[in-house]
Amino acid sequence: MTKNNSFPDVIFLGQPNCGKSTLFNALAGLKAETSNFPGTTVKHTHSKVNFYGRILNIIDLPGTYSLNPSDEVEHVALTHLFVEKPDLIINVVDASLLGRSLELTLELIELEFPMVVALNMMDLAEKKGVDIDPKKLARLLGVPVIPAIATHGRGVKELIDAAFDILDEGKRPSHLDWSRDVEEKIEELSFILPEDFPVVANKRFTAVKMIEAGKLIFDDMLSEINPDFKRSLKIIRADLEKRHDAPAYEVIAAERHHLAFKLSEECSHVSRGKRQNWMDRVDDILMHPILGYFILLAVFFAFFFVIFKVGSPLEEFLLNPLNHLREYLSGVFGTSVLSSILDGLVQGFAGGIAIVLPYFIPLLFMMSILDDVGYLSRASFLMDTFMHRIGLHGKSVSPFILGFGCNVPAIMSTRTLESRRDKILTSLLIPFIPCSARTTIILSLIAFYLGPFWALCFYVGNILLIAVLGRLLSFFLKSPSPGLILEIPTLKVPSLKNIAKKTYVQLVSFIKFAWPILIAGSVILGLMQFYKMDSVVNLILSPFVENIMGLPRELGVTLVFGFLRKELSLVMMLQALGVSYQDVMSVITKDQLVIFTVFISFFIPCLSTVAILWREVGRKIAFLSMGLNITVAIILSLVVRLMIGL
Amino acid sequence: MISLIDAPQGKHLKILDFIGGHSVRRRLLALGFHKNDIIELDSRSIFGGPLLIKDLTTEVSAALGRGIAKKIVVEIIDEK
Repeated sequence: MTKNNSFPDVIFLGQPNCGKSTLFNALAGLKAETSNFPGTTVKHTHSKVNFYGRILNIIDLPGTYSLNPSDEVEHVALTHLFVEKPDLIINVVDASLLGRSLELTLELIELEFPMVVALNMMDLAEKKGVDIDPKKLARLLGVPVIPAIATHGRGVKELIDAAFDILDEGKRPSHLDWSRDVEEKIEELSFILPEDFPVVANKRFTAVKMIEAGKLIFDDMLSEINPDFKRSLKIIRADLEKRHDAPAYEVIAAERHHLAFKLSEECSHVSRGKRQNWMDRVDDILMHPILGYFILLAVFFAFFFVIFKVGSPLEEFLLNPLNHLREYLSGVFGTSVLSSILDGLVQGFAGGIAIVLPYFIPLLFMMSILDDVGYLSRASFLMDTFMHRIGLHGKSVSPFILGFGCNVPAIMSTRTLESRRDKILTSLLIPFIPCSARTTIILSLIAFYLGPFWALCFYVGNILLIAVLGRLLSFFLKSPSPGLILEIPTLKVPSLKNIAKKTYVQLVSFIKFAWPILIAGSVILGLMQFYKMDSVVNLILSPFVENIMGLPRELGVTLVFGFLRKELSLVMMLQALGVSYQDVMSVITKDQLVIFTVFISFFIPCLSTVAILWREVGRKIAFLSMGLNITVAIILSLVVRLMIGL
Repeated sequence: MISLIDAPQGKHLKILDFIGGHSVRRRLLALGFHKNDIIELDSRSIFGGPLLIKDLTTEVSAALGRGIAKKIVVEIIDEK
């Protein structure tokens, strides 16, 4: 990556769930998504931010526990750190988990890049009865430590001031020493580092990483380049291992761990004994081996109930004026190219505002609440057992739940999974999860015309389908998945500001990317209808649409467009059938409506999902996914057709 | 000396050792579970699901699958 030399690069780094993204948002406006699940910021965000006339190039990296790339997310963080050689590192630390968080801080200080520590979540630490002295910590670490509460925007200005000071001074911290004998070995190794060796950050850091590396990439590379050096490295490692009776990387990890805890104890003071607060009690119930499942179910039902209860009246309310507008326009312009274009425009616009948004906004909002509270990781814990039945484990629950919002970030978050096999299986299943677009279709067709009960049945059936598919797919993807190791972050009181922000960010991205596609699609369909081109497509598809699916031939063209955006099929369906939303049932039967919904829901992942599959798991899997979806959609639609005896 | 999976709920336990592969050891270390840490088994989900563990030394809570829990050797410490 090229360095932009006029603006200093500032990297944000911290352990998962330390509130880094929230702090980043407070600084940079509305960019990264924040959440209370370890590892949800999987895509890093660059933003140029202007503070008091100075522009910083801020890079938000995914949370990482250490600088040892054991999973893909951490690997991304590391690569950036090494390639971009930041002018400043802002290390965000969870004050309520000071001891553990400082382990990463110490590792970052070993890099000896200019650095500032943001001591975040001071309020949470206080609630735990821990008083931390930031000044003392700063003195011990040799870097500025700024106390902050990101959710309230506190400490943000001080952090920026400190960052500017350090940037101006260019002051670099120096590493903190470990036990004498370990330091001796490190020194020994850095001394014999070959002249041409690619040093990362500094010699000591490079030496430490080599000792820690164990059986990682370093070893193979070395034996080819410099066998002598490799032999010396082996001896040094063996020495350490013998003396400490543990693998070399554990010796190093223990050194950091002890130092981190010593520092943490020296600068924090426990003011009162730990007592169980009400949040802990709530958590006990949420995680209860039996009650927990009832709550999980209740949350799930409440989730969709609220979305439907908010969405459907809103939808009816908004549709009427827009239908009047259409009638008015067709009265004025009659049948002409212009009126087809105008009608398409209004249809696309109305589809977005009256059919999609009423369900989409509450869905985003509810997702954000679950996310912010920290319920996702709890759901993962509860669902782990069931996930094993379909060949996965609890860590895949979070991508699945994210999938209800949008499949694209869901597939991106499979990066948090350790094994490629889990990643592939999860990525193949995610496109079957009804995302917000499909939820909109299900709610506005099934729930609206047949009643909410049937929509619920559809949902339950959908989840069963995922379970069956998972089971089937894991026959082909055997290798056992590694067990679940998942941090359960502290339960948090949701912050309305945070939730509103997150909903807003996603809403903006819908308006920017999806809505124009809806409008363009409707205009194109309007033009096609005007020039009778749609009937060609419909004719070609008619053996399939009419004979196999038993649907009106006019719907053929909408299926093709559904590949672009799922909602487009819905908006276009009305247009293709030539009726307003309230009159749909006059032209198709209930059974046809169900078959159409089933087919549209599953038949192919939308364009963006295919693109992200391609990028994340490769072309083969992307094609496999499309094939799988088409097959399942056809089989299911047929089964449904036979079941309701058309 | 027992495996974490057989440990009683709510008692203080001390981690004696991790058996098993490097990658699991590394991940547990990074998450904040170390030898000699005092931990507590908070909850055991039904149907062979994961265990909920709280490390009292580092204050980290985590869900560990049974396969992982089998690889953690602990001893029960009497609460005084």
